[in-house]
Amino acid sequence: MSNRKIKLAFFTIAEWEREQEWLMKQHRAGWELRNATLPCFYTFEKCKPEDVVYQLDYNKDGLEHKSEYIQMFRDCGWEYITDMAGYSYFRKPVSEMNEKEEIFCDEDSRIDMLERVFRGRMIPCIAIFFLIIIPQLFMQAVWNDVTHHVLFGVYVILLVMYVVMFIKFGLQYMQLKRRMGR
Amino acid sequence: MDAHIKKVYIPMTETGFYILLCLQEEMHGYSIVQKVEALTGGEIRLSPGTMYGSLSKMEKDGLIGFVREEEKRKIYRITELGREVLNLEMARIERLYRNLKEVQS
Repeated sequence: MSNRKIKLAFFTIAEWEREQEWLMKQHRAGWELRNATLPCFYTFEKCKPEDVVYQLDYNKDGLEHKSEYIQMFRDCGWEYITDMAGYSYFRKPVSEMNEKEEIFCDEDSRIDMLERVFRGRMIPCIAIFFLIIIPQLFMQAVWNDVTHHVLFGVYVILLVMYVVMFIKFGLQYMQLKRRMGR
Repeated sequence: MDAHIKKVYIPMTETGFYILLCLQEEMHGYSIVQKVEALTGGEIRLSPGTMYGSLSKMEKDGLIGFVREEEKRKIYRITELGREVLNLEMARIERLYRNLKEVQS
């Protein structure tokens, strides 16, 4: 049996918590993350099944000063794995923790990360949404032949995907704000 | 001190407060983590994502300054502005503590 496998998984921009849980589940089943490549390919290697916490950070400044950034995490016992689309992937075995540990220890810094994701990932998406998807939808609707019907369908699907993504992001933002009591 | 600094840093998060408190001496991020753990008897363990984010934000806002790098670790120190913010925060905490004692006794 091969001790490497590639899995496909799709998470929208605001779903890093779900992604973290998914990676933890893989490790518990004996597959540790090795690499992640766009758009949605995850490479795993066989390992001893273990409870390991996976965490994602999104920090442009960190990627620009990568060696200091990774060192900070390493000092605190977090192993750097890889990065994808601006997200950095870290993990730490539960056996090395005294209590539940995450890479953020207060809600303020979780909000800060969400805002970095918003600036880095959501603003480009909002631009694509209003400058491409919406205008294209109207343009394709004007023509009455099969090609344009198909294209229209594609843009409708894109529209729905983007709207779902915006709503999910908004919900996560509201949830975090509520947890902070602000 | 401009309105932005006041709005963001007063009142401060515990993380922010301990960073400024520690950086009255030159230190790197992880030594702050260790010092805070010792000071609080292990009650506060600062996490690396929070630390990295806070340090770069505070550096950008001019509360702390980069001094030099040692073995891939950035060493920082508090600035004049940082000291002003820390003093305001200390006065606020002292007032809280005084009031607590007054009302409790």
